[in-house]
Amino acid sequence: MTTNTEPQSSDRAAAERAAAIAEFQRKDKWRRRLPLLPALLFTIVVTQIPFLFNIWFSLQDWKIVPPRGPDFTGLENFTEGYSNTFFLDAVGISIGMTTAAVLLSLLVGTGLALLLDRQFFGRGIARTLLITPFLIMPVVAGLLWKNQIFSATFGVVNAVIEPLGFDAIPFVERYPFWAIVTVLVWQWSPFMMLIILAGLQGQPTDILEAARVDRASGRGIFTQITLPMLRPYMELGIVLGAIYLLQVFDHIDVMTGGGPGSTNVPYFVYQRSIGGGWDFGQAAAYSIIVVIATIIIATIALRVLSSLFQRQETA
Amino acid sequence: MTLTARDKQLRGESRWGTAALGIVTWLVAALFFFPIFWMVLNSFKTELDANTTPKLLFEPTLDRWQAVTETIPGLLSFSEAFYNSFLIVIVSTVLVLVLAIPAAYALSIYPIGNWRDALFFFISTKFLPIVAAILPLWIIARELGLLNTHLVLIILYTAMNLPLAVWMLNSFFREVPRELIEAAQMDGTGLYGQIKDVMLPIVAPGVAATALLCFIFAWNEFFLAVQLNPVEGSTVPVWVSTNVTTRGMFMAKLSAASTLAILPVVIAGWVAQKRMIRGLSMGAVK
Amino acid sequence: MAEVTYREATRIYPGTEQPAVDRLNLTIDDGEFLVLVGPSGSGKSTALRMLAGLEACDEGTIHIGDRDVTLVQPKDRDVAMVFQSYALYPHMSVAQNIGFPLKQQKVPKAEREKQVREAARILDLEEYLDRKPKHLSGGQRQRVAMGRAIVRHPQVFLMDEPLSNLDAKLRVQTRAELADLQARLGVTTVYVTHDQVEAMTMGHRVAILDYGVMQQCDTPGELYRHPENLFVAGFIGSPAMNIIPTDVDGDAVVFGSMRIPMDPAVAAAAAKSGGAGLQIGIRPQGLVLGDEGVPTEVVVVEELGSETFVFADIEHLGERLRIRIRVDADYAVARGDKTHVNVLGPVHVFGTDGLRLKTAEEQAG
Repeated sequence: MTTNTEPQSSDRAAAERAAAIAEFQRKDKWRRRLPLLPALLFTIVVTQIPFLFNIWFSLQDWKIVPPRGPDFTGLENFTEGYSNTFFLDAVGISIGMTTAAVLLSLLVGTGLALLLDRQFFGRGIARTLLITPFLIMPVVAGLLWKNQIFSATFGVVNAVIEPLGFDAIPFVERYPFWAIVTVLVWQWSPFMMLIILAGLQGQPTDILEAARVDRASGRGIFTQITLPMLRPYMELGIVLGAIYLLQVFDHIDVMTGGGPGSTNVPYFVYQRSIGGGWDFGQAAAYSIIVVIATIIIATIALRVLSSLFQRQETA
Repeated sequence: MTLTARDKQLRGESRWGTAALGIVTWLVAALFFFPIFWMVLNSFKTELDANTTPKLLFEPTLDRWQAVTETIPGLLSFSEAFYNSFLIVIVSTVLVLVLAIPAAYALSIYPIGNWRDALFFFISTKFLPIVAAILPLWIIARELGLLNTHLVLIILYTAMNLPLAVWMLNSFFREVPRELIEAAQMDGTGLYGQIKDVMLPIVAPGVAATALLCFIFAWNEFFLAVQLNPVEGSTVPVWVSTNVTTRGMFMAKLSAASTLAILPVVIAGWVAQKRMIRGLSMGAVK
Repeated sequence: MAEVTYREATRIYPGTEQPAVDRLNLTIDDGEFLVLVGPSGSGKSTALRMLAGLEACDEGTIHIGDRDVTLVQPKDRDVAMVFQSYALYPHMSVAQNIGFPLKQQKVPKAEREKQVREAARILDLEEYLDRKPKHLSGGQRQRVAMGRAIVRHPQVFLMDEPLSNLDAKLRVQTRAELADLQARLGVTTVYVTHDQVEAMTMGHRVAILDYGVMQQCDTPGELYRHPENLFVAGFIGSPAMNIIPTDVDGDAVVFGSMRIPMDPAVAAAAAKSGGAGLQIGIRPQGLVLGDEGVPTEVVVVEELGSETFVFADIEHLGERLRIRIRVDADYAVARGDKTHVNVLGPVHVFGTDGLRLKTAEEQAG
């Protein structure tokens, strides 16, 4: 009877096969990962090393004026910073400025996109004019609005309203927050406009035709079909816009120099470090707090609320 | 799908209504563009004219343009700044694409298990304000002898734009039907062939849109450039800021400098805007 | 050209319990045209893609010729595939699409152009060589996809529902052309479809799958006449076979008011299950309306022109049962007619497990 040896050799063959399959799957996994590595490694090296440095700085008592340290102080910078009213003010300004700029530019951008989404004479030129503000250097935009538009002495706005009997308004001095928001909205509306325009031009014609056959009104079509369809585009605009607008710096630097009411968190951190405060330990601690808070908020927003990640499930 | 005349008719929009909306759009566009127009106008004024109550009529002069473009030894010249900017921005944008295209492929076709985490990681690198990172960056750059070089800005701009590029290219790649990739596989292509011969030609408008955005953000970047390359390798934004003097009048000269500074990006944007919209509608969202 | 063998081939998608393809054992002869058919989710496309290398084979093996290709990359398997959506490269012309695989094999340009032209000639695409896919009709695109596959001279052709995007008339015409082409080229072909008419008319043999398990693999004639189980019986043949639950009465089965005697071997097998829970299958073509048989009332008349199909009700085991009967085109029948239905054709008996009970000679042969 050869039944003793047969099961063993077929077991061994099966085990060999399983091992070969496992090996193959392992190699396959690496083959998939490989193209990602250059970008990933590059990003990790260039961004995480400074971040680690920052963590180390934040644990030090390190000032330049007057010179002190670096001496290790643990979490002291954090506990101090956490309740610092100026910091909290800056947080409030950051949130307010970002929210206002994002929402207003989305509103304006959508309006512009709707205006542009029709055939009319000179459409290309109108669109060209409308996207230009986005292409301009933030520094130039800030200086332009401060000195040539808003200025109480040379500004165009005042040159127009003064003859009408109003007093000249020094916009930037009196309303620093809104002056900056205005420039931000002016620059980012075209960006939102482009995204929404892309969405409008991607509308499936058969749905629109069906709606028209059903004699839906213009407003009805807009609110019930177009708006919901634009939602993913709006979400993209909000996400991208928020990421960039949170970090606004140049505008504040050239327009208000960080006066009260217009200092957001990045500018606040700058003021605490190389912008005059020269307290590197404290500044680093603030930036760490901000990063952690942003990650938490972003995680919630992107994973739970937005459909952007879920929607991309094609694999 | 753009509203045609017939669509508007069906919606009960009168001819006059359409014309009115067209005019409104033109007015809005003109209003939006006005600040830029005003700035360019000012560049042709004398400093005296520019620094008083604004006027539309004046005697134009090229004097400030001359002042802005002349090369003064010891000071950053406009040609030097432009050369630096072009070099840095173009190299960095190319580098971004070289890194982002394979990365986006790995995240979209046969995606790895935690592609969402990878994408989130890339985005999260933009949560740290550069003002916070500047100190470690400055110290490291100095240690490596990279201050005032082209390389340091190339590296940093690449890192700055990579997350956006990976995100956008990922969505575009996902729009390519899976079967096309499979057909390419069966026809004998490897990763490189699939990207070069099949994917890139199809998502070309999307790649163009991504490249344009990277170009814009890199060209306009000011903070890192002024902190790390104040002496050598300075870029156009830095050069513009040198025209802001504390004494004397500078409005007209600054206007001329600003106009020059925005020209390359504006031209690129104007030329590529159609492709940009087409690229965005291809799948930046879906 | 080669033989294809699936041995215990299994595919389980990660996170699911039910295998998409469950221990498939199938041998396809060199030059054979084998059709994989089944309803949606039956695993037929998965099985095809496993052969292509586009799906992993979690257990078991797949051989092409005597080469084990289970772990081999798709491009090294020497197989060519035609996709349901054709998957033509939209930015390339017809000539470039067809020539693409040759370019990957580094075939020199002159030779490449020659082969592309040859494939175009066979498929009647010569005037379209410079067009892009978006300027082609559905049928033309389908032929370009075929051209791209042919030009590689592979060992096996794989086709994943290549006709389902064509309109009905074009589909019938292309079906014949495809079968003819395969006969001329003589390449082993594995063809997936959900349409049983396509399967029956095109394949040398047809393999039927349901929920990843192969039900039967046989020539069309055998599948029609001797289905292995209820699923195959109900799937093959249009219109479908009448499947009727019934009881045993001695050595016969009950059908309405009739008793139909069974083959002794069948009767013996039926008795083993206690005579209950059985089902019989009679094709509409095996029934006839007339003066003899079970009393029936006509409910729906479907006139096709070449023949007519009738839905009629009978009393069966105390309940009202509706069955389908084939009737000659010139036979006068209308809704409400009261007549009789008689049994002509074979009556299949299916056991409680769904398997068809076989006669003695079937069991022997």
